[in-house]
Amino acid sequence: MLKIQDLQCQVETQDGEDKPILKGLSLEVPAGEVHAVMGPNGSGKSTLSYVLTGRDGYEVTGGSMAFAGEDLAELAPEARAALGLYLSFQYPVEIPGVPTITFLKEALNAQRVTRGEEEVTAPEFMKLIREKAKQLNVSMDMLKRAVNVGFSGGEKKRLEILQALVLQPKFLILDETDSGLDIDALKIVSDGVNALRAPDRGMLVITHYQRLLDHITPDVVHVMADGRIVKSGGPELARELEAEGYDKYLGEAA
Amino acid sequence: MTATLTHTQAEQALIDALDGATGWRAQLREVTQREGLPTRRHELWKWSDLRRAANDVSGAGRIDVTGLDRLTSPQDGDRLELTITASAGASAADETLVVPAGASLTLVETLKGEAGSLGNWHLTIRVEAGARLDRIVITNHDADAVFVGSAEIELADGATLNQTMVDTGARLSRNETHVVHPGHGASVDMGGAYILAAGRHADSTNLVHHTGPGGVTKQLVKGAVASGGHGVFQGKFIVDRLAQQTDARMTHRALMLGEKAEIDAKPELEIYADDVQCAHGNALGTLDETALFYMRQRGLPEAKARALLIESYLAEPLDRVQDEALRETLKASLRARLGALI
Repeated sequence: MLKIQDLQCQVETQDGEDKPILKGLSLEVPAGEVHAVMGPNGSGKSTLSYVLTGRDGYEVTGGSMAFAGEDLAELAPEARAALGLYLSFQYPVEIPGVPTITFLKEALNAQRVTRGEEEVTAPEFMKLIREKAKQLNVSMDMLKRAVNVGFSGGEKKRLEILQALVLQPKFLILDETDSGLDIDALKIVSDGVNALRAPDRGMLVITHYQRLLDHITPDVVHVMADGRIVKSGGPELARELEAEGYDKYLGEAA
Repeated sequence: MTATLTHTQAEQALIDALDGATGWRAQLREVTQREGLPTRRHELWKWSDLRRAANDVSGAGRIDVTGLDRLTSPQDGDRLELTITASAGASAADETLVVPAGASLTLVETLKGEAGSLGNWHLTIRVEAGARLDRIVITNHDADAVFVGSAEIELADGATLNQTMVDTGARLSRNETHVVHPGHGASVDMGGAYILAAGRHADSTNLVHHTGPGGVTKQLVKGAVASGGHGVFQGKFIVDRLAQQTDARMTHRALMLGEKAEIDAKPELEIYADDVQCAHGNALGTLDETALFYMRQRGLPEAKARALLIESYLAEPLDRVQDEALRETLKASLRARLGALI
């Protein structure tokens, strides 16, 4: 479903220099599977999430990334979203003045129009969002407020998953979704993610800690260091990393 | 020193058009005859060169004001709607409004300069004790219009002025508001938004003169300017020595939407009292690229995402308008111009 081959990516640093971050990363996530990418700070995990979703400033300099048979590098961020690629942001962005509910309805209908589907009507949308909000313990009052403005860290993360439940993407990238969550919020968010597990949907869970993987059990765990995948294995690999740390992989990558 | 001044064709057209005028229009004629139209060399016009902008204007024009019938004896609760249309050529009109003590009035002015016009519009307003005026000004000018609107507003004790202005620009559009604020329970809230496509210029110039104690003044003006557009904000609060405990806050914020967008701002405080709370802020920025990416990642096309961000940015000063239908009209006039900016 998601196929990344020998991907190389560079970003422009503040002093205007091109800095290679991904240095030949290969990864394949079939439909129905949940893969975790674990790695130390600075290994390129967030870069991977941004290059897959098409953020400006993340330039592909080699290799390929394909999703559902389409070459992602050719597509604008909104086209990738309409294909079904969803990024749950590590730091969800505040959009002052735009009510969450309006934003989400616009987003859903924009995706549907791009895919040649009919727009959902206002009553249909309200029914949908009420149902999903309840599932994530999000009040309708919160949804009337501007996107992420004045929300706590936990509320922002819950809202990221709520948006995924409404947009029903084919593939989710969760970038450090556990950061800033207390144990109760972690459970709510994980339950939301698990509800999205489906035979026709893939997921890439990017995380520094194993904690999240206690709740969202991955099929495969990849260890990332210095812009590459240096080891892949089953869920036990996550526990091994938690016990032993990343030190030995940092050595291997160098 | 200069004994004679050679008038430009626009200046001559304005002088001719105001032949025999009285009151404010006679003063306009006299100052034009004596000094010509203001240029960059006048401190108050340094970013809005009226003489240059009016270069192509010739002949006398017409200025039509509709909705005047209720201006002379307004009743409490009235909503007065004036449409001021200046045709090609030079023209000027002025009117007076008194808001009776204790009354509450809404005044909506729509300013329309047609191509080739040099329109001048002036209002003298007095808001009597305890009265309230909600003043809305909307511009809807041709790209080749030059239009100067101005108001002198005097408040009595306990009077309230709520003013909201939406300027979409013209070759040159300038709106001046001069307020005499007596304190003593009077309050002023002057907001506005401007949105400028390439080739359009809007100038918001304001003076609030606090003459007595305890006055409250708030001003929030926000703008968005595309490459080739030019926004000007000049705000000045004067606080006399007698105007102790004045609370006056001025904020101007604007988005530069392209590399060749131009915005000039001069917020000024002139304070002679020692026990006041006064502040001014001025910030220019660009659209938040992180927010744009976030919105596009959710599936919104780039143009739509930009439009939504600009619209929500500019909405803040308009949200103070209490009448919902009016507030929507103002937002719609901004929205209609968004397409040219993105």
